[in-house]
Amino acid sequence: MRTTDAPMTKVLPLLAALALTAAQYAIWRYAPVEATMGLVQKIFYYHLPMSWWAMVSFFIVFAASIAYLVKRDPRWDRLAGAAAEIGVLLATLALVTGSLWARPIWNTWWTWDPRLTTTLIMWFVYAAYLLLRSAEAGGARGPTVRAVLGVVAFLDVPLVFYSARMWRSVHPAVFGAKGGGLEPEMWTTVLVSVSAFGLLWLWMLLARVAQLSQAQRLDALMVWDEEDR
Amino acid sequence: MLRPTLTLARKDLKLMASGGQGLIQAALLGLLLIFVFSLSRPAGEVVPAQGAAAIFWLASAFGQVLVFNGLYSLEELTGARLGLLLSPAPRHALWLGKALAGFFLLLACQVLFAPAVVVFLGQDILDWPTWGLTVLVVDWGLVALGSLLGALAQGQAARESLLTVILFPLLLPLLLSAIKLTAGVFSGQAPEGYEQWLGMALAFDALFSGAAIFLFPFVYGGEE
Repeated sequence: MRTTDAPMTKVLPLLAALALTAAQYAIWRYAPVEATMGLVQKIFYYHLPMSWWAMVSFFIVFAASIAYLVKRDPRWDRLAGAAAEIGVLLATLALVTGSLWARPIWNTWWTWDPRLTTTLIMWFVYAAYLLLRSAEAGGARGPTVRAVLGVVAFLDVPLVFYSARMWRSVHPAVFGAKGGGLEPEMWTTVLVSVSAFGLLWLWMLLARVAQLSQAQRLDALMVWDEEDR
Repeated sequence: MLRPTLTLARKDLKLMASGGQGLIQAALLGLLLIFVFSLSRPAGEVVPAQGAAAIFWLASAFGQVLVFNGLYSLEELTGARLGLLLSPAPRHALWLGKALAGFFLLLACQVLFAPAVVVFLGQDILDWPTWGLTVLVVDWGLVALGSLLGALAQGQAARESLLTVILFPLLLPLLLSAIKLTAGVFSGQAPEGYEQWLGMALAFDALFSGAAIFLFPFVYGGEE
């Protein structure tokens, strides 16, 4: 795994910017206005990519945590940390946009839907994970402790989802009905938007990993410097 | 593996019974929570069974955090963690021993919480077999994860508040099962999907017992 990949971190933001511009065009000009929901439905094109990439981020925390426990290479710990930060950011935005959409459409800010609950619980868990990172809990064992938490947190996800679904079994499959009613142009827009957010996500992840490894190097240099004196 | 486990659990229980702060603190906090929540009950009305069940399990979850903080600080206070690690007991036995000790301490707290729920929240325990089963199954899930993450409190990082924030969201599936099943115990009617909720709690127990056996050796080490 390479943590600093200069050409990638230069080309990627350019690609991401172009793709996001195209996505804006697709969302506002290309995709038709939804018949019953009107303009509010456009939130969906932001909401869906953000929640998907948030979930991908959390999966990367899980995979990188396992890799750290096996290899004991601090680079995996940094990757997990960067992914957790971006995941929490995207999950926050997904929750906020979802809530804004739900208010006019479902007539409530919040409902006990399995996906909503799972996202919120993951948000709590990974926010706590970040708290653990910034508190540098565990001292020298910090990375190990975090990796264990990264694994445990992801194992919990299916249980959270199923238990939330059982809790309110009467809840209608709103999401299923909504996803099924998309026009072909809407599907295209969704795909464009998901890919554009994906490029942005990848760039942010790589840039953050590079930052974290530079911070690590600086710390190491400062220790050397102090020892020289 | 069983002998060192039982030895460790017995040692911890003895130490906690003879003046360990964790147990008394956990019991007091839980009782206080139940009492304070009883203030939300309007005069002349009863707390709904599901609400009372939620309060009971919230008190238990807080109690569990304090119990494990106490259990792991036993070694920290005397600097005996290295001794424990050097002993021929496998590390898994340490997790299981602490979990076992925590299980009995949590049960001891709940012996106080249950009458408090009856008195302050006006509930009746109508279904004793389900009650016993629920407490045993859910408590094991609580201590399996608590014993794994309680070890985070070792060394300088000992912070109960941090542990609570991490532990509670993870416990959600278990707490939902516990609340549903206990609400059935208080109301006398088996909840809808009784087997499924019991299955959910058992799945939680199995998943995190398995995960803890794999992960505990990473968490509990000699480093500061």
